Amino acid sequence: MSDSHTQDVGAHHGHTELGFIRKYIFSEDHKIIGIQFLFSGLIFLFLGGALALGVRIQLAWPNKDIPVLSNLFPHSWGHKMAPEFYTMLFSMHATVMIFFVIIPWLTGAFGNFLIPLMIGARDMAFPKLNMLSYWFMWPAFIILLASFFVDGGAAGAGWTSYPLLASINLAAPNSGMGQVLWLTSLLFVGISSMMGSVNYITTIINLRATGMTLNRMPLSVWAMFITAILQAMALPVLTVALILQLLDKTINTTFFLPPGGAPFGNWHTGPGGGQPLLWQHLFWFYSHPAVYIMILPAMGMVSDIIATFCRKPLFGYKPMVYSMVGIAGLGFIVWGHHMFQSGMDPRLGTGFMLATIMIALPSAVKTFNWLGTTWGANIQYTTAMLNALAFVSMFVIGGLSGIFMAATPVDVYFHDTYFIVAHIHYVLFMSSIFGIFAAIYFWFPKMFGRLMSERLGKIHFVLTFVFANCTFFPMHIIGIGGHPRRYADPTLYKFLEPLQGLNVFMTVCAILLGLTQLIFVVNFFLSLVWGKKADRNPWHSNSLEWSAPSPPPHGNFETEPVVYRGPYEYGHPDHNEDYLPQFDPSTVGRGTPVHAH
Amino acid sequence: MQKVWAVLFGVVLALCFGLFVAAYFIPGWWLPHLANEGNWGKDVDNLFYFILWATTFFFVLTEVILVYAMFKFAGEPGRKASYTHGNHKLEIAWTIVPAAILLVIAFSQVQAWEKIKYQSRAPLPDQIIEVSARQFEWRMRYPTVKTRDDLVSNWKGDPTKANKLADRWGYDYLADFDDLHIGNEVHTWKGAQTRIYLKTRDVLHSFFLPNMRLKQDAVPGKTIPVWFQPTEANGEFKDGKWVYDKDEGGKEKVWELACAELCGWGHYKMQGHLYVHKDKASYEAWLQHALEKQNVRTREKK
Ligand SMILES: [Cu+2]
Ligand SMILES: [Cu+2]
Repeated sequence: MSDSHTQDVGAHHGHTELGFIRKYIFSEDHKIIGIQFLFSGLIFLFLGGALALGVRIQLAWPNKDIPVLSNLFPHSWGHKMAPEFYTMLFSMHATVMIFFVIIPWLTGAFGNFLIPLMIGARDMAFPKLNMLSYWFMWPAFIILLASFFVDGGAAGAGWTSYPLLASINLAAPNSGMGQVLWLTSLLFVGISSMMGSVNYITTIINLRATGMTLNRMPLSVWAMFITAILQAMALPVLTVALILQLLDKTINTTFFLPPGGAPFGNWHTGPGGGQPLLWQHLFWFYSHPAVYIMILPAMGMVSDIIATFCRKPLFGYKPMVYSMVGIAGLGFIVWGHHMFQSGMDPRLGTGFMLATIMIALPSAVKTFNWLGTTWGANIQYTTAMLNALAFVSMFVIGGLSGIFMAATPVDVYFHDTYFIVAHIHYVLFMSSIFGIFAAIYFWFPKMFGRLMSERLGKIHFVLTFVFANCTFFPMHIIGIGGHPRRYADPTLYKFLEPLQGLNVFMTVCAILLGLTQLIFVVNFFLSLVWGKKADRNPWHSNSLEWSAPSPPPHGNFETEPVVYRGPYEYGHPDHNEDYLPQFDPSTVGRGTPVHAH
Repeated sequence: MQKVWAVLFGVVLALCFGLFVAAYFIPGWWLPHLANEGNWGKDVDNLFYFILWATTFFFVLTEVILVYAMFKFAGEPGRKASYTHGNHKLEIAWTIVPAAILLVIAFSQVQAWEKIKYQSRAPLPDQIIEVSARQFEWRMRYPTVKTRDDLVSNWKGDPTKANKLADRWGYDYLADFDDLHIGNEVHTWKGAQTRIYLKTRDVLHSFFLPNMRLKQDAVPGKTIPVWFQPTEANGEFKDGKWVYDKDEGGKEKVWELACAELCGWGHYKMQGHLYVHKDKASYEAWLQHALEKQNVRTREKK
């Protein structure tokens, strides 16, 4: 299975003396590229967060005089937030968080950094392609940021960009240039992701070290592998959709414009020949799997972190892998659950509902196996572990709330209310982001050779855990009350009046949640310089990356690693230590993990 | 000291759970008043409660186990964790049991869904309305009493024919010069099978009646029939004016229509109202009144 003999370890040492630019900017080293993704994601996290706070402020005090802030809004808006500005805020918040933070962090940063280290490879299969995959993000960054300054502002038709609102330039003030740039920017993100995926798949198949059989791969690697396949299969469809909408907007094709066309003010589009629902099918064919692209890698990493700090083998390795495969497979036939109320044939809705409800099963299996791992453990409460446990406890909420929308008749009521907003934030913030935090605290010493402060880390964790729940949990309640999403001013409605107090509460908590993240930034950057020096294996963990120096040099390993056992041999009764790394040549616990008893 | 983390998780999760329970008892924090209880509105609510119970069970089960494990198995120096890679029987059990529950949940939805959305299951209408959405308002078209009777009521003996005619009116082939055109008001009467022919002139919108548990997107280029049957009234048309009924709390039973699909900057402004008259006579009195007002206006313009 292994091609490691083709990797000439020694020969490469000759030209490690690269200039600063080749080493840190246009780097072909997977670790540097991963760290580049990590840093740009961090910057965009704060942009996305600021946009979210704008949304929250408007929802709490719509059209009210707010001290200081009101004066920031131009006189022409009456010193209030213009509603088209509000639509821009939530559209760009979601766009930034999904396409510029979570996906690049999970696949770009951690996929890049971890895959070669964990399988014992010197680098990715195609280092140049890897470099390009990062640098193709830059046109996306620039175009996205530029779109805030064009006439009409950045895109405001939702991150879903449904036609005709998005596709007809005159349908909204920000559906002109802002939307064109949005589409262009995402095309570049897509190209970047595709380059990454191809690379990850090839690397995992071809470059595993001696002894690294598929059944000995850590779950992080399995998760990245499955995610890369998902991405490679789903992305072309999104690309097609983006190009079609771009053509509709620029050279007046009518892929999404229905035969009769539509009037906007005194202007008429003229007849079309297309179908607005076509966009929704294409978009969700990618964007539902994208939800799993945004959770599977976090699931994998959290599994490794939990096993490490439970000091206990991961419970049910194979069921964990099978359930990820199950999620990925079913993930391709459930996209229609976003379209139950869209006018799609309701008989299709029945089919999509059955598939969607059943996709809860592999998620449940994963949860039970995480619980099984903690049972009888010797839990070390590091910051990384706390974030990983938060992932598990919050993913339960996010997973269960999904069933309400999957059930078609119940979705008739809940569709496009705040209940779905609560659900998505329990999956993407409370799960993915806690998973990412866990991963950062856990692998920071391997990335930078220093440990992050545990004290600051724990303060950051407690405040984030509390404020995030205060921010997102009440969204379930206002969702049950029927509060529609994407409303610039809910106070017009009588049935929403009793819910307004919760809106204010959530906004206050969201601001506190945002401020809390500054602790993280301080910890991150102070630790880069003054953090305690880390040795090779500060957490006494088992997988291959811990055999390399911290940080690993160009080429990763001093000697070619050999793998003797699975990654989860913690607490082995025949071994003195409570961990037994994959690279330890001791004769204890060799062979693939047997799932028995 | 390590055990304090279990306490933190326990408290936060318990507070979340508590908020859910409290919301049920706080007026206005739960599902809005259900006004088609005698019709499929009840199905929607029942299925919601069914899923709520099932998910609450799994929520409590998993979170209690997690918090307990975090407490019980908090690390002690020198202790080794139990060494196990899994348990085959457990895996099978916790795959099959949730699978069975999920299948029950899934299949219990099918009937209600058919009732709500399958066009083949649409009941013969007593009342037909065309709703045409645009940025940022709803425009309604009502047939006169005579047109409506010609289309629907007089064909009771032949439902296929009645359905076909209603459709032709709704799809606009039979639009009548005398039809009433009015903005943002849905009028029908208690017990009336009400069919809406939903359209949009420009972008996507979504017709959302929270009290009827009804939602349907309006799609450019399409006419989508939706239906509901209010089994409760919220007022009547008396002396040339709409008078709201009061609920037990003494508050007017204001039922709103909202747009649930982002349609532009004014999305939040697409507010309408639902008027369920206490009987057909009240509705027809209103219709007469509204038609007279409309015709005066048209005559004055000439
Ligand atoms: Cu989905
Ligand atoms: Cu609308």
